Amino acid sequence: MSARRNYIIRRVMHGFLALFIIATLLFFLFRLGLPDPTAALITEGLTPAEREQIRARFGLERPLWEQYLIYLGNIVQGDFGFSFHYRAPVADIIWERLGNTMVLMLPAIALAYAVGVPLGAWLSWRRGSGTDTTGIFVGLMFRSAPMFWTGMIAILFFGIYLGWLPTSGMRTLPYEASGFLDKIFTLDFLHHLILPALVVALYYLGSPMLIMRNTMLEVYGEDFIEMARAKGLPERRILYNHAARNALLPVVTQLAVTIGLAAGGQVVVEVVFSWPGLGREILNAVRTSDFPLAQASFLVMAAFVITLNLLVDMLYTLLDPRVSFK
Amino acid sequence: MRSSILKSAAEPARAIVSDRIALTGFIVLAAIVAMALFAPLLATHDPLHINELEEGTLMQRTQAEDGSVRWVLSEPLGDVTVYDAAWQDGVGIAVARGGNVYRYDGQWAALDAPFTESLRAVAVSAAGRALIVGEGGIMALYDDTTGGWQQVDAPESVDLHAVAWSDDDTAWVVGEEETIWRLDLSTDAVSIETLQSPVNRGLDLNGIAFDADGSGLVIGERGVVLQFDPDNDSFSLLRLPTNRTLNDIHLTADGTGLIVGERGTLLAREGADADWVVEDAPDSRAIRAGWIGSEGEAIAVARNGIIMERHGDGWHLASTQGARHLRTLMVTEDHFYALGSDRFVNRLSPPTSEHWFGTDHLGRDLYSQNVYGSRIALLVGFLGAALVVLIGANVGLIAGYFRGRTETVLMRTVDVMYGIPFEPFALILVLLFEPSLLIVILAVSLLTWRTVARLIRSQVLSLRERPFVKAARVAGASDLRIMYIHIFPNVMPLVFLELAIIVGVSIIAEATLSFLGLGPPQSISWGGILHNARLSGAWRDAWWWNLPPGIFIMITVLSVFFISRSLELVANPRLRARR
Repeated sequence: MSARRNYIIRRVMHGFLALFIIATLLFFLFRLGLPDPTAALITEGLTPAEREQIRARFGLERPLWEQYLIYLGNIVQGDFGFSFHYRAPVADIIWERLGNTMVLMLPAIALAYAVGVPLGAWLSWRRGSGTDTTGIFVGLMFRSAPMFWTGMIAILFFGIYLGWLPTSGMRTLPYEASGFLDKIFTLDFLHHLILPALVVALYYLGSPMLIMRNTMLEVYGEDFIEMARAKGLPERRILYNHAARNALLPVVTQLAVTIGLAAGGQVVVEVVFSWPGLGREILNAVRTSDFPLAQASFLVMAAFVITLNLLVDMLYTLLDPRVSFK
Repeated sequence: MRSSILKSAAEPARAIVSDRIALTGFIVLAAIVAMALFAPLLATHDPLHINELEEGTLMQRTQAEDGSVRWVLSEPLGDVTVYDAAWQDGVGIAVARGGNVYRYDGQWAALDAPFTESLRAVAVSAAGRALIVGEGGIMALYDDTTGGWQQVDAPESVDLHAVAWSDDDTAWVVGEEETIWRLDLSTDAVSIETLQSPVNRGLDLNGIAFDADGSGLVIGERGVVLQFDPDNDSFSLLRLPTNRTLNDIHLTADGTGLIVGERGTLLAREGADADWVVEDAPDSRAIRAGWIGSEGEAIAVARNGIIMERHGDGWHLASTQGARHLRTLMVTEDHFYALGSDRFVNRLSPPTSEHWFGTDHLGRDLYSQNVYGSRIALLVGFLGAALVVLIGANVGLIAGYFRGRTETVLMRTVDVMYGIPFEPFALILVLLFEPSLLIVILAVSLLTWRTVARLIRSQVLSLRERPFVKAARVAGASDLRIMYIHIFPNVMPLVFLELAIIVGVSIIAEATLSFLGLGPPQSISWGGILHNARLSGAWRDAWWWNLPPGIFIMITVLSVFFISRSLELVANPRLRARR
């Protein structure tokens, strides 16, 4: 038990270390690429006084190492700065965009796994058959098609040709929501969600399906499956009760990693469907040279990925007793 | 060393050849590589060249049930510009560049005309005789009742611009150098009388029309308008409130009239005795032809597909299809046609035999763009993947072999990299630095090696404990020798597998960056084509623009995945045993 606790503590420490390194990397990358971040602001029409204020706020007059310390200090306090473009605190913008991204990505990923995992198990059962080949082919096909293209084709067909579904944004404008829950629990929102979520789900479908299929094939060779067969259990029961449970581990891992990366969103899907998520925001932020927003968005995404990776490791220790805490 | 690596490469090669799916993938990939290599030979056009097209455009005015008007393209009359058209008693005649004449009686058909000069104008008499005039003083009479042609010799070889009949046997021709000819066509022996223009400055005359009382108007360059008085058989100068070059005139039997000219010049009169009034045009392009009805309803056509209509309350732009350069109008009892088209930019053309995948919003050939696009995709795909595998395999090898502090540092680095989301990282990298091919390759490969390093390391961890490695160590082999000659060949299958997978990942990553407009500038790539399509907004109609690049990306990546699948069987024998 204490071995596990030590392991967890160590992993959490590693996570913070990684985040610190990424924050550092980000700081110097931005300083390298944008030596004077306020230069972009002159065109934005800021008054000299405002400009001085921003320079002072980010400590741009001070030596680099001092700037770096201020930057780290601000992050630790949860102060991500002030967006040049929106003229609003970065943190507020990011949380809203992150929410938008998640309400798109989570249902999409859930759909992909809910369909992909049983499908993969079934394909492994029918291994070598035409069904198996077709399944692999279709899974790989959606994996190979760039998501922005699938999205454009989906918009073209379902949105414009058939005219069934809305093709951009989260809701029909104009619209004013009183709160986040109010915003997402409407039919209009669900209507807007279908197309982008479907496109994301189709892309993600292949990965749990193929992982499940391949792991199942490995599990079939294990002794306990032979044992179950020898007991005369029906094939279906062996498949779902014995083999599938043991093959789930890599799928769970993949799921957590996918969710972690989902915070970054699929930039292209958000762009194609004009979904106001974090991925699209980071693209806009760097385009408008809004570096506090870009930096902070990236950091939040990284934190998300690291947290979920951490969660994967913990899940492993819970789900698979064979993992040692070295 | 070379032989052992060759040997280790032989097994994946055999695996590809023996697996039918992998072989298919390999052949498809080879075809795409060939396409990239031989792009200049395969492309039918310069991919960045703006293609222009000339055609005998025919547009028809349609009115929907809700009253909305749209001018739609019909089947072109031919592949040369139609300059003029006339309608009389159920028969239309259109004349075009290169001596082409078309006849319409419900169906368009080309007439076998006896000349090759460009024909500029046509007018049909009430008796069904068409006088056709053109460049270099060409004049010919076509009798629709007999189908016979009669050439008329011109007294001078000047370009003729317009023609009109004042009665059944008298036709008027005007052209450059203030040429005004009156033709007496009552007998087969045509007599031509040259009339004197009162201006005499060598101006072009572009149009002529007659009122019911036999008085006529000739219009031309720099706003010149000549009035013909039948009583004293001479021309006088008429002052109109414009000095723009005038292109066409139309008068009705009721006396309403319309004159059109350069820079959106529109002049109208409400009756034979009324004054000409300048009207506001909704577009300032050169107006080439106009038509007015007896109730004052009017139509004017211009370059770039501009058609203006007047309904009581002034002129409005009509909705038109395409952006053809319109030259003339043909008005029948119940239809309106606009004809013309000099060379126009062949925008958003659907697939034709000339442009197999159609054209984009700038008239560039999409098939050629797609062919050239394979170059960037494969270049970034393979170069990126090679870089990734080079870094990943070495890091994995070093970490797995040396273990200890080296391993900790390297694998911690890999852990950190796993915390960086790929797409945003690539975005920031490309946006912070100037987009170039190198940055795109770096953006694609700088993160991706993390997976390779982890996989190779775990494989090396078990390999380094094998007897053959221990034997080599006992024999005094150096670390480098053990790593690269004894261990490395054994991880080759895994390296090849990763290489194949990462080629696919890199191609998609490149396409993604290009789609977001962050690809190397001035280059053509599949993602870039889709970027242009989205940016232009025309992708919502132009399916031929969206479809091919995506299919190419999909096929390329799919073929690489197929190859990787058979490589996976080599790298992971447990999968192979159960197949």
